[in-house]
Amino acid sequence: MSLSLSIALLLPVLLLSPLFLGAETQIRFVTWKSQFPKVWDQAIADFEAANPGIKVTREIGPHSSTDFHDLVTQKLKNRDPEMDVFFMDVIWPAEFAAAGWALPLDRYFPPAERGKFLVAPILANTYRGQIYGVPLFIDAGMLYYRKDLLAQYGFSPPRTWPELVAQAKAVLAKANDPQLTGFSGQFKQYEGLICNMMEYVLGNGGALWDADALKGTLHRPEVVEAVRFVRDRIIGEISPRGVLAYQEPESLALFAQGRAVFHRNWPYAWEIANDPERSRVAGKVGMTVLPAFPGGKSVSTLGGWQLGISRFSRKPDLAWRFVSFMSSPRMQKQIALYGGRAPALRALYRDADILKKRPEFETQFDTFVNAVPRPRTPVYVPLSNIMQRFFSSAIALRDSNIESLARSASRDMDRVLDLLREGTRP
Amino acid sequence: MSRKALQPLWWVVIGGFSLVPFLWFVLTSWKSPAQITAIPPEIVPEFHWGFYDSALRNYGLLRYIRNSAIVATLTTLISILIGSLAAYALTRFRLSWTRFYLMLLLAISMFPQIAIAGPVWRILNTLGWLNTYQGIVAAYIALSLPLAVWILATFFKELPYEVEEAALVDGCTWVQALWKIVLPLAAPGLFTASILVFIHVWNEFFFALLILTNPALQTLPVGIALFPGEYTMPWGEIAAASTIATLPLIVLTLIFQRRIVRGLSAGAIKG
Amino acid sequence: MKGAQRVASYYVLPSLVFVLLFSLYPIFESFRLSFYRLILALPWLGQRFVGWENYGDLVTDPVAMQSLGTTLLFVAVTAPLEVVLGLSMALVLNESFRGRALLRAIVLVPWAIPTVVSSQMWRFIFNDRYGLINFFLFGEATHLYLAPLAEPDLAVLAIMTADIWKTSSFAALIILAGLQTIPDELYEAASIDGASAWQKFHHITLPLLKPALLLALLFRTIDALRVFDLVFVMTQGGPADATNVLQFYGYKKTFAEGMIGYGSAIAVVVFFLSLVLSLLYIRLLGARILERSER
Repeated sequence: MSLSLSIALLLPVLLLSPLFLGAETQIRFVTWKSQFPKVWDQAIADFEAANPGIKVTREIGPHSSTDFHDLVTQKLKNRDPEMDVFFMDVIWPAEFAAAGWALPLDRYFPPAERGKFLVAPILANTYRGQIYGVPLFIDAGMLYYRKDLLAQYGFSPPRTWPELVAQAKAVLAKANDPQLTGFSGQFKQYEGLICNMMEYVLGNGGALWDADALKGTLHRPEVVEAVRFVRDRIIGEISPRGVLAYQEPESLALFAQGRAVFHRNWPYAWEIANDPERSRVAGKVGMTVLPAFPGGKSVSTLGGWQLGISRFSRKPDLAWRFVSFMSSPRMQKQIALYGGRAPALRALYRDADILKKRPEFETQFDTFVNAVPRPRTPVYVPLSNIMQRFFSSAIALRDSNIESLARSASRDMDRVLDLLREGTRP
Repeated sequence: MSRKALQPLWWVVIGGFSLVPFLWFVLTSWKSPAQITAIPPEIVPEFHWGFYDSALRNYGLLRYIRNSAIVATLTTLISILIGSLAAYALTRFRLSWTRFYLMLLLAISMFPQIAIAGPVWRILNTLGWLNTYQGIVAAYIALSLPLAVWILATFFKELPYEVEEAALVDGCTWVQALWKIVLPLAAPGLFTASILVFIHVWNEFFFALLILTNPALQTLPVGIALFPGEYTMPWGEIAAASTIATLPLIVLTLIFQRRIVRGLSAGAIKG
Repeated sequence: MKGAQRVASYYVLPSLVFVLLFSLYPIFESFRLSFYRLILALPWLGQRFVGWENYGDLVTDPVAMQSLGTTLLFVAVTAPLEVVLGLSMALVLNESFRGRALLRAIVLVPWAIPTVVSSQMWRFIFNDRYGLINFFLFGEATHLYLAPLAEPDLAVLAIMTADIWKTSSFAALIILAGLQTIPDELYEAASIDGASAWQKFHHITLPLLKPALLLALLFRTIDALRVFDLVFVMTQGGPADATNVLQFYGYKKTFAEGMIGYGSAIAVVVFFLSLVLSLLYIRLLGARILERSER
């Protein structure tokens, strides 16, 4: 009796369930909520119009790379055939390839086509000779500065990190504004910390790890020296300690409120920093390549998003049709024009419409071309977590023993990298 | 009396502790975009309603609230129903396994929920219940049953058996005894358990994140988690959304708070 | 009563179906997987039975041991403090005064806000430049502003504060209900005997309130051991790994790193910690928790 009662109660629940029925073929696209939804809605409508009988269903996840990773991998590790196309952060293709989750796209995406893209994002999507994703837009670290303050005190944008520290200190000393700080960046314990720290570490001739020897390198003097520079000169002298909890939004807010002389961020910050609605320094902002260490070269971390196809998709050909449509020059141009994101296709940097609306892309092009991807490996996430822990501990504690933290982080990374020597890969 | 003189102080201390952080968020929802991150903070907002408009229109807040209300209501109804049946059996029939079953329920409520999210996802996938109300509701029922059964059991055990026994002698069935006699007597307990389960489900984030990816079905915690962009933190919209979303629950607790308090005192605590 | 046996099983069955399918089976899976080495990103290594290896690694993993310490500290500070605060609130709310009903409702506000939202709120309040806490402490003197989420020690305090704010009212509710079961006659009799307010509290209120206090402590301890949302939203375990609680570490291993075996072992450890503490409390509560109280 109670059983039938509970079944009777469950019935309306069953009837409430939405029905995903229909005669058309469906492509399921797992994406995040777009910042410029109209561009995407239009593009998907155009695709459906050009491909009668195909319907694109979007599943929406959070924008945070970490949360989105949870969502997509949950589907992939369970071989979910429902998901056809998904977004990938630039650090995921190797993991997804090795795990057998992402479909190799070589037969759809031949080298001649890849040649039309910037080199670094293509490299980031390549694992053991095969390609697993099509870059949609890219990111690279840039230096933002207060044009007005630098001009007022007779400085030109700094070429080296020590120069940046010296300029910031000079401006702070002369400006006599207790609210002004020298530099804001992203130093919270999260993936963005790797992006920021990599720029100092690689700029100082170091490496995050040795990908050939499969050995940790954090204990090497170049790395330790770069980390010490960040702890003692950046955090210790010119940044508020709050940067240790900053992700992109908080660090940009400090700069946009006119409380920082220098700021490290991705290209998106340009538009916000110059929008009088959202910024108190609109029109006073300059942008240039990140500083280098004396005698070294400037390093800018590569970011960005790609489209991949699930290996468990039952209709890879259709999925490719969609991916190729969404990553076409037309679409990347729309994203650049209305979303302000930097295209992955080279030719668009000579496109008159784009350059007219986004003149800053011209100055940024060199940085985009030279941006350095984080090293590719299927065990990137565990390595990144070890590095995040190390970098955060090293710079957040004023008297941290950087050498000893680095040695132990390096050993932990060795252990993870050792996994790659085990067994025989297919 | 000195105690009476202290009354305004109670108000300030307790009311302030509970409300000030939230009121700060409410004020934030009325600020202008540049005012939100003003340094130092500015207390008085410019009474800018743009964030409410944006939260409702661009972020589809009402849809998330509706979904949460549906999911939480269904879960509450079903788990209280199933939970009462179980709690009744566990307190009325003193069998060898009833105590074991109660202990089992308590033990499973201690297992980290995040760790079981993966297997639960796989079961729902097998049933074809991902991205459905019944899928998330089924998972939530399992999560809230231990809480519901325990609270209900502590209430039921305090109810006098004599009335039921008389009814049974008069030819009532067990079902009738439960439905007509025990449940009305235990009404305060049912309210307490309902509101606890409702809020528990209303707050749940991680299962909903994995199970509901269809934007038409996503619940409020997931919905608000979708507000931040890749590099942007829309504090204004989040504050406006939190204000709107908290109102129904405040009204609900205002209505039920007497019943909750009275309910618990009727049984749970005498132990 | 044969009939009773049958009726009882019918009544329990619906709940058992849900519990078996969505709780017991997944928990069993976690236990099983904790004895395997399974790394999602390296499928060619297969799923290898390793016995107690994951648990052995856990004991020698300094990160896990540090996060165990952080978790226990979190529990040791928040659970008792929430009970004490809840007790104070309950004592006030049990007095009769004008506006008591409204104040009782206000007290429940923090508890009714979803944790992911209240965590964002606290992140905003603890901001080092535009946060309320700094403005409250230092006013316009921005050069004095602290960065609570940037200092390892303060960050731990920050997540504790957010937790205490949210759940003290839950404890208050349970304790208030307990207070209301204490008969007024006891206090009246004590007054006639000339007992002071403190003596009444010490000799009547506290002893009779013991079950409610312990129940509140039990619920808060189980919950605090599994703290996740706060860390996930506010700090992601940083800075310097200071807020990396066990449950968050387990989440990272399982979901982010795909180290399923190791992550499952962490979940099992959290479970046993809960179990041991709960059994301890139930011992203190007494076996009577399931029995009908004497009238």
